[in-house]
Amino acid sequence: MEIVIQVFLIFLGIYAGIGLLFGIYFFVKGASQLDPLIKDSKWTVRLLLFPGAVGLWPIVLLKIINLQKIQP
Amino acid sequence: MGLDYQTVLWNKQKKTYDKWIAITMLIYLICFIGITILTNPETSIETLIIRAFGTLAIALLHIILAIGPLTRLNPKFLPILYNRRHLGVSMFLAALVHGGFSIFQFHSLGTTNPIYALFTSNIEYNSFTNFPFQVLGFFALIILFLMAATSHDFWLKNLSPKTWKRLHMMVYIAYGLIILHIFLGALQQQPSWGSIGVLSLGFIVITSLHLSTAFKESKLDKSKTSHVDDGWEYVCTTDEIPEDRAKIFIVDKERIAIFKYDQKLSAISNVCKHQGGPLGEGKIVDGCITCPWHGYQYLPHNGQSPPPFTEKVSTYRLRLIGKKIYVLPKALAEGTAVEPVIL
Repeated sequence: MEIVIQVFLIFLGIYAGIGLLFGIYFFVKGASQLDPLIKDSKWTVRLLLFPGAVGLWPIVLLKIINLQKIQP
Repeated sequence: MGLDYQTVLWNKQKKTYDKWIAITMLIYLICFIGITILTNPETSIETLIIRAFGTLAIALLHIILAIGPLTRLNPKFLPILYNRRHLGVSMFLAALVHGGFSIFQFHSLGTTNPIYALFTSNIEYNSFTNFPFQVLGFFALIILFLMAATSHDFWLKNLSPKTWKRLHMMVYIAYGLIILHIFLGALQQQPSWGSIGVLSLGFIVITSLHLSTAFKESKLDKSKTSHVDDGWEYVCTTDEIPEDRAKIFIVDKERIAIFKYDQKLSAISNVCKHQGGPLGEGKIVDGCITCPWHGYQYLPHNGQSPPPFTEKVSTYRLRLIGKKIYVLPKALAEGTAVEPVIL
């Protein structure tokens, strides 16, 4: 059981680590790539959205990639 | 509805609600800590904080889960729904303090990684009564985090309303995990029959409210319209719809709302594009159908939000014979203009 727990926690750590890096990218550039409306909003909005980008980075990243394909 | 995003969508009412939320939470914490100190003076500060914030979080979660069905059963509860998002984030913060202090007190004082210790301090995963209940709380906290982190219109729009709704429906999984977390924790530590009784009562109330709502909704879903040969279906007479209001019907397995306004009738989909709110339970305000949940607006004749907003819902064709209203069940493309029926 301990091996399962170790593997799960390593996965969780990697997921959160990538999420943090993606969150920074999202704050700087990704949010406006996903929705141009956010360009007119204060930086505090991006800060508020940061935890969501960290937690759901695979979904958000996929959405940005798909949008880039449609609107290069 | 907005053209750009605000950090927090506050208006006068929402600020008042938020003040009340903060004051109520503070009063609860003071009372809980005060009573515990009086009745059990040996309790440590950490334990006090863990219990005070834990019970606050579960109380708030029950209120949050009750709001949805209560508004479906009685529209008088709608004003509370407008502020559910802020209540949800407040509940997550209370749960976070509870979880954070629990990990600090029980798992961070040794040399092992606190999260690893959380999962391995009790490894009786095969046992029901001795199951490591803290792990259940950890997973519930992750779900609550994802919900709180995406409680913004940006996420609602960009994750898509469907994905967002699915994510936020996970509150029921979190609720189940929390119930087990508390029951198992209470069984394994100091069984408090009082708290188990209160929690059971809360569970029964929440379940009953949801079942009552499901029963009410199923009655609507079973309501039949009369089929007419040429494809039109009879729904009701004009007298049955109040002015500036709607009546909801099921046609072609979809809920539609028929609105009466300015001596005219129009039919649109009952589902708001924002969070799936019941448009037919809203009313006409300034010539627009206004969703009772968050005030999203649509023009009755074409189902489009007034410019510059871009939301659209399906429309339906209506026919009037005498006072009898008939609807063509096939939904038109979202935003299709349909000439209103003149009364």
